Amino acid sequence: MNMTEPMFLALTALVDEPRHGYGIVQEVDRLSVGRVQLKIGTLYGVLDRLSAAGLVALDREEAQQGRLRRYYRLTDEGAAALRDEAARMAATAETATARLRARMAGGAT
Amino acid sequence: MSLLERRYRSVLRLLPASYRAEREEEMVDAFMEMSGDVSDELNPRPRWGEIASVLALALRLRFGGAGAEPRLFAWGETVRLLAVLGLAFHAMGGVYTGVELLRTLVFQVEPGLAGAPGSFERLVAVVVSLAYLCSTVAFVAIMRGHVRTAKITAVVGAAPALAYTLIPMILAGPLMDRPLSEPATLVFTAVPVIALLLGFHSDATPRRRPWALALSPLAAGLAVLGCTWLLVALRLPDADWLYLWLDLGTAIPVWATGAVVVLTRRSSPPWALAMSAAGLLLLLMRVPLLGNLPDGSAWLTVCAQCALLWSLAVALAWVGARSLPAARPALQP
Repeated sequence: MNMTEPMFLALTALVDEPRHGYGIVQEVDRLSVGRVQLKIGTLYGVLDRLSAAGLVALDREEAQQGRLRRYYRLTDEGAAALRDEAARMAATAETATARLRARMAGGAT
Repeated sequence: MSLLERRYRSVLRLLPASYRAEREEEMVDAFMEMSGDVSDELNPRPRWGEIASVLALALRLRFGGAGAEPRLFAWGETVRLLAVLGLAFHAMGGVYTGVELLRTLVFQVEPGLAGAPGSFERLVAVVVSLAYLCSTVAFVAIMRGHVRTAKITAVVGAAPALAYTLIPMILAGPLMDRPLSEPATLVFTAVPVIALLLGFHSDATPRRRPWALALSPLAAGLAVLGCTWLLVALRLPDADWLYLWLDLGTAIPVWATGAVVVLTRRSSPPWALAMSAAGLLLLLMRVPLLGNLPDGSAWLTVCAQCALLWSLAVALAWVGARSLPAARPALQP
């Protein structure tokens, strides 16, 4: 599965604790320093895909002001997928940093 | 229930009923928590971004990809097949235009068709012909699984036909005053492109089909062009009706053969429904001719083509609709 940035951030938002829909939106906003602000339709599209791939699962349901609130948690498969993606991104960032360092050392402007 | 909640629930009606039954309450909860307390007196509405995100989700669900519930997946496949079939017609048209442009530019055959060399008319003719050729590229791209290329080139390929039909309509007043062929061309051109844009979303994995299939409209286009030149060279008397089996006319017997195969083999509902819609598109392009042709063999030929298209398209729609998987019952929250 091709992991998009909203998927990556939603998985990251669930690493420390299960969260409900708006909780994920808030955490993604915090993690991306306000750069990614998930709309509700987008969030549920992301959750559908992650659930279908077995990367997140329903943790519990609560009733809040007469409305249903569902909490989602990261599964072991989700944690593994997130670890792989984070390692891939870190390796890419490492390569970029090394090349920039070499460029600076070579006197390029 | 607040005004904002009521309005957001109205937006959520874009989603399939089965999905709403499962998700509506938690989506409303998330939206209302995000929006905070807003007084009805402020006449609050969901923001356009929120509406757009629900619309995008609705389109992806209604034209389902892999993993979608069977009925929604069948509708998704129908839209994707319609895009492919419609683009096949346009790919053939792109081939004619490309070859005619080549004849004009390289061999100077009928130079009047593309204006004088170096003129503005020549520039416009070249740009328009190249744009039409993009439809051929779009077909090959989607058949080989390159969705983004297909979408971009399909839009470019449709642009001249849309401009030629839309601009006169806008400038010349009400739709009813225009010849029927103009809205017919508009629909015939736009529907496959819209189907391509909507049907091939991120959840729909494009299939990579063989090169032979991907290039078949090109071969068909060249064959039809050869037949056209042959007919012109033969100068047969009273052969007007024969020309009606060329260009889009060639697509009619090919489509009819495919329709009979789909009906007799009881192919999947998406094939039946997409073939039905493609037949109706062809019919739409044929009906305006009935008002323009004089009585005689040509008029009778178009009548026969329309009858064939209509009868098979209706049969396909009936078979397709009957064999669609049942909708998942909507669970009560």
